[in-house]
Amino acid sequence: MNRTLTLFAVWTLAASPLVAAEQPITKAQSEFFESKIRPILADNCYKCHSATADKVKGGLVVDTREGLLKGGETGPALVPGNPDKSLLIRAVRYDDSDLQMPPKGKKLTAQQIADLTAWVKMGAPDPRKAAAAAKYKDPREAGKSHWAFKPVQKQTPPSVKESSWVKMPVDNFILAKLDENGMKPNAPADRRTLIRRAYFDLIGLPPTPAQVEEFVNDTSSDAFARVVETLLKSPQYGERWGRYWLDVARYSDTKGSVKKKQEDDKYPYAWTYRDYVIKAFNDDKPYNRFIVEQLAADRLASPDKTTLAAMGFLTVGERFMNNQNDIINDRIDTTTKAFLGLTVACARCHDHKFDPVPTADYYSLHGIFASSTIPGELPVIGKPANEAKYAEFQQKLATLKKADATYEAQMKAAKKAKDRKKAKSLQYKSAEIDSKIADLELKDAGSPPKAMIMVDKPRPSDSPIFIRGEADSKGPVVPRRFLEVLSGPARPTFHNGSGRLELAQAIADPKNPLTARAAVNRIWLHHFGEGIVTTPDDLGIMSDPPSHPELLDFLAAYFIEHGWSTKEMHRLIMNSAAYQQSSANNSKFAQLDPMNRLLWRANVRRLDFESMRDSFLFIGGKLSAQMGGAGTNLFSEPYSTRRSVYGYLDREAMPETLNHFDFANPDMATGKRYNTIVPQQSLFLMNSPLVVEQAKNLVRRAEFTAAKTDEDKLDVLYRIVYARPARAEEVKLSMAYLAETKPYRSVTAAPQQVTNAKTQKKKQNNKKRPEAYVEPFKARAPLGSWEELAHTLLIANEASFIN
Amino acid sequence: MTMNNRQLAGPFSMNTPSIFTRRQFLENTGTGFGMLGLAGLAGMGLLGNDAHAAAAGPLAPKQPHFPGKAKRVIHVFAQGAPSQVDTWDPKPALVTHAGKDVPGMKGVALPSPFKFTKHGRSGIPVSEVFPELAKHVDEMAIIRSMHTNIPAHEIATVFMNTGSLRIAKPTLGSWVVYGLGSENQNIPGYISLRPGRMPPGGSQNWQSAFLPGTFQGTSINTDFARVEQMIQNIRNPYLPLDEQRRQLDLVHKFNELHAQNLQKDAALEARLEAHEMAFKMQTEATDAFDISRETAATRALYGTSAQGKQLLIARRLMERGVRFVQVWASGWDHHQDIEDRLTKSAEEIDRPLAGLLTDLKQRGLLDSTLVVWGGEFGRKPTRDKNGNANPGRDHNNKGFSTWLAGGGIKGGTVYGATDEFGGQSVENPVHVHDLHASILHALGFDHEKLTYRYNGRDFRLTDNFGKVVKPIFA
Repeated sequence: MNRTLTLFAVWTLAASPLVAAEQPITKAQSEFFESKIRPILADNCYKCHSATADKVKGGLVVDTREGLLKGGETGPALVPGNPDKSLLIRAVRYDDSDLQMPPKGKKLTAQQIADLTAWVKMGAPDPRKAAAAAKYKDPREAGKSHWAFKPVQKQTPPSVKESSWVKMPVDNFILAKLDENGMKPNAPADRRTLIRRAYFDLIGLPPTPAQVEEFVNDTSSDAFARVVETLLKSPQYGERWGRYWLDVARYSDTKGSVKKKQEDDKYPYAWTYRDYVIKAFNDDKPYNRFIVEQLAADRLASPDKTTLAAMGFLTVGERFMNNQNDIINDRIDTTTKAFLGLTVACARCHDHKFDPVPTADYYSLHGIFASSTIPGELPVIGKPANEAKYAEFQQKLATLKKADATYEAQMKAAKKAKDRKKAKSLQYKSAEIDSKIADLELKDAGSPPKAMIMVDKPRPSDSPIFIRGEADSKGPVVPRRFLEVLSGPARPTFHNGSGRLELAQAIADPKNPLTARAAVNRIWLHHFGEGIVTTPDDLGIMSDPPSHPELLDFLAAYFIEHGWSTKEMHRLIMNSAAYQQSSANNSKFAQLDPMNRLLWRANVRRLDFESMRDSFLFIGGKLSAQMGGAGTNLFSEPYSTRRSVYGYLDREAMPETLNHFDFANPDMATGKRYNTIVPQQSLFLMNSPLVVEQAKNLVRRAEFTAAKTDEDKLDVLYRIVYARPARAEEVKLSMAYLAETKPYRSVTAAPQQVTNAKTQKKKQNNKKRPEAYVEPFKARAPLGSWEELAHTLLIANEASFIN
Repeated sequence: MTMNNRQLAGPFSMNTPSIFTRRQFLENTGTGFGMLGLAGLAGMGLLGNDAHAAAAGPLAPKQPHFPGKAKRVIHVFAQGAPSQVDTWDPKPALVTHAGKDVPGMKGVALPSPFKFTKHGRSGIPVSEVFPELAKHVDEMAIIRSMHTNIPAHEIATVFMNTGSLRIAKPTLGSWVVYGLGSENQNIPGYISLRPGRMPPGGSQNWQSAFLPGTFQGTSINTDFARVEQMIQNIRNPYLPLDEQRRQLDLVHKFNELHAQNLQKDAALEARLEAHEMAFKMQTEATDAFDISRETAATRALYGTSAQGKQLLIARRLMERGVRFVQVWASGWDHHQDIEDRLTKSAEEIDRPLAGLLTDLKQRGLLDSTLVVWGGEFGRKPTRDKNGNANPGRDHNNKGFSTWLAGGGIKGGTVYGATDEFGGQSVENPVHVHDLHASILHALGFDHEKLTYRYNGRDFRLTDNFGKVVKPIFA
């Protein structure tokens, strides 16, 4: 029962050490094989374990000697000369309960087992020609025929019967598929629903009542297209769409696990990457340029120094106690998932189990990142928030650095004197100074922004394969180059510095079959709630087939032809009839296609945390328009009014509220968040002062206080919160509710805490985890009846769902 | 091209934008139970037809495949990888070989600084670091032959909880509540308690992955003094409960009107249920987490440490019918100064955990509560090269110890063995998958049949592996 082997699969290199040298076979041996062994194998094993098998099970083929020696997922099937160590023999003997072949009790006869055993004992002489091996399809080879690895095919939109429904070419694809399956698209959504959907989709905020009315009353044919244009021009667009990319880029303001006694765990400049991403979306930076900047901005001649911040893509990941190979793995993982939708990191320890990515290719990329490094001094890319404070900042920094240098010198001396205790305490002191420096750089208004770049090492080098992923068991060295499955067997090796720039260019190459497909699939996902491929970070063999493969290719080609413009894709998609459908249910279609994969309706979507919180602040009239800068704590009072994208994210202590709302895990590329509904979300809506305070702000708004009658007041609330007037029944319910509201006593605060709140705050601040701090419970003044009603509207589903 | 089965994945596929309700499922597909396993069918009770009828909720109690002795589980995760040869697996050979090479291993033998003495009727030797737990050896089955795949904390920690190395898979607790539901509809059925920090791997350790979110563990930071801080937003600071009830009823009415226009979207219905559970949680959970309601004698059993508090909360949750509680008891990564540091880690858990066993027994709950203690892997019998003057031990996935007690476990059992030096499981090796299979077995599940269809494949906790360790059961 050797599970280690099972999990590490077989390590297949061209020159596999497992393939023993061929030995000449005697005639007698050959006869023995032909008369005894071949029939056993052919009759009992070939069905599942041969080149001709429908599906090779366990990766094992037994129709060649090589196949047996190489073995399958559980390791080599054969150890010539040693039957007891040969899995083939153990399996036919039924030695292990979980490895019994042939399966299901079809055990071989004692004679057959004896023959096989004798054969292995004599060294498993095998006259079968290696020719058969060529027929066997390695999963790696088979994988290359997977749709995603084939070139993008330019598609002509299919013709459709109901051509009057078609607004944009994407509609042809949607309608043709629906038609094929006997379904029809829904009627268009009503205008209020549509504008609300468009606003949340593009800027993550609701429209104001005035914006709604303007659109509702605008009967011109391009009214909606103009709404889309306005939204694409809004700076809030980048704040919405930039965040999707930050999910993919596993953005965080901290390093994760570090030796806290030796270094600080903050990234004081991570936010410059976040701001770069937001700006890139607002500027509609061509996506191919966006790729290259994030991987190799240091190698581009750009007059705009802020583009250097793009490289935070590589550097804001977890730091794994400074384990370089884990850091590199994170960079490979994020790069390949984000841009290619391919899980290359699976090939760190063994060839990818499903996709045609050999371990050798992983270490080709490893060499590139191992030949890159973060420089000691990061480049300044702009002016401090407050220039007048710059000199003061420099002075403070110099003082701290001097103190740090002193401690470090003393520590060296202590180490030399073998005074471990003193050295240790000095190291702590030095680490404390490091934290102070990081805090200063992060928070001081005089601190100039810097870019978290990487640069090429002076002497780049190729990496060896780490056998089973273990750094101290090195295999052959592999050249730095791109993945074979994407650039062919004759791919060039990289020589330009580390090869990062060449890697970036290979990814951004319009001929790369994955890059544009992965990008447009992400855009589609965020407009419809589901991608054409449902796993945006994995378009490999394990992914479900695309719902509309031709449409995916059409979009990919369109994207490239239109200068890799993301905003063009929004226009293409949002102006389509498919996008503008209503979300009404249709019980017949729901039965045919319960997942709505064919898009017979618009999906009802829960707002993500950011859109929900931001819209509540917006509704309360408090949302700040301030952009950029260091992250802010979103969860302690007085509550920040900044957009959620500017929240400070400590990957070691993610605010629980974010977790409850399925926020992206900052430790891995996340193309699609989970979408759960759990009681903790309800508790947030029902009880959090962050929500209730917005309800209170809402009824303090001038429009509300100016309204004369209760009915008018209610109308104001409905228009602000739901972008529509209240319906008769809602008016009735609300008025009855107001009338029945009786004065009640305020909540009594809990008895004095066991731990003093102040001490606790201090304790937590010492841990440098401001976001993890939870306010102690404080009873608050009772709500007024209108405040309570406004809060009710925020709790109700319509406030946090898009139809 | 016609739609194939994969495009129309099952109702629980990740493709679904939200949780489907039973009603919607039935309405939408009519039939289709054939594609779900028995447990899949059980899992269909996602939501009741009547929003206020919590009994039929997704966590309604369900029957396992066969009657299991254990009805609930407390898993004490000794995260950091405790050394087996210093705790439950004495190795005299390390003394005789002290400082000499250990065959088949790099490095020299490091004898345990701790004395082992025999305890209980079973006479099982226990290290002096666990004086209190040692008194309970007759309740325990100690598995000395555990092994796992990767000796790296984060991966192995998540692996211990999910049985998966890389792909996001549901955690043990999620599978348990998926299969069994919970006996209390007003508190989450699966709770993960941690004193402060997130464990390595963070929320992956209580994720439901492709199982519906309702089977996700609720992580609670017990470092906080009061329940209002442990469970965020557990109390409304403005409204008394009766007023809030009135408000919530209005929310439901608004939601019903809203949903009518959309003809009952699943996500919207799930919200309704979530609100109701949240409302009830406010009172029930507050009570469950308030250990000040315990008698002084009971509190003394557990002590006042962070672990004592956690374990006492765990017992209160068990009493209230919570199905699965994981308690994080970290700090076992002893690369150096093992003598001092392991002593300290052991001290933190020894009395509280012994107190839990005593308490459960006194209350007649031990027979039906499975208690599991163990780390994500073990440590080498050799001296850690980083150890210098005060040595410790490096990571080792090839051999470690875990014990189980209560819930149908045959106490006073030692199962399996490591080699002479304690580095590698050689006799009756028990893999993490086997441990998972055994825990499910204790609860009445055939681990091969507790499955969930996702992306066209039936998944289970034990993947394609797992063998129940029968000899540890009474």
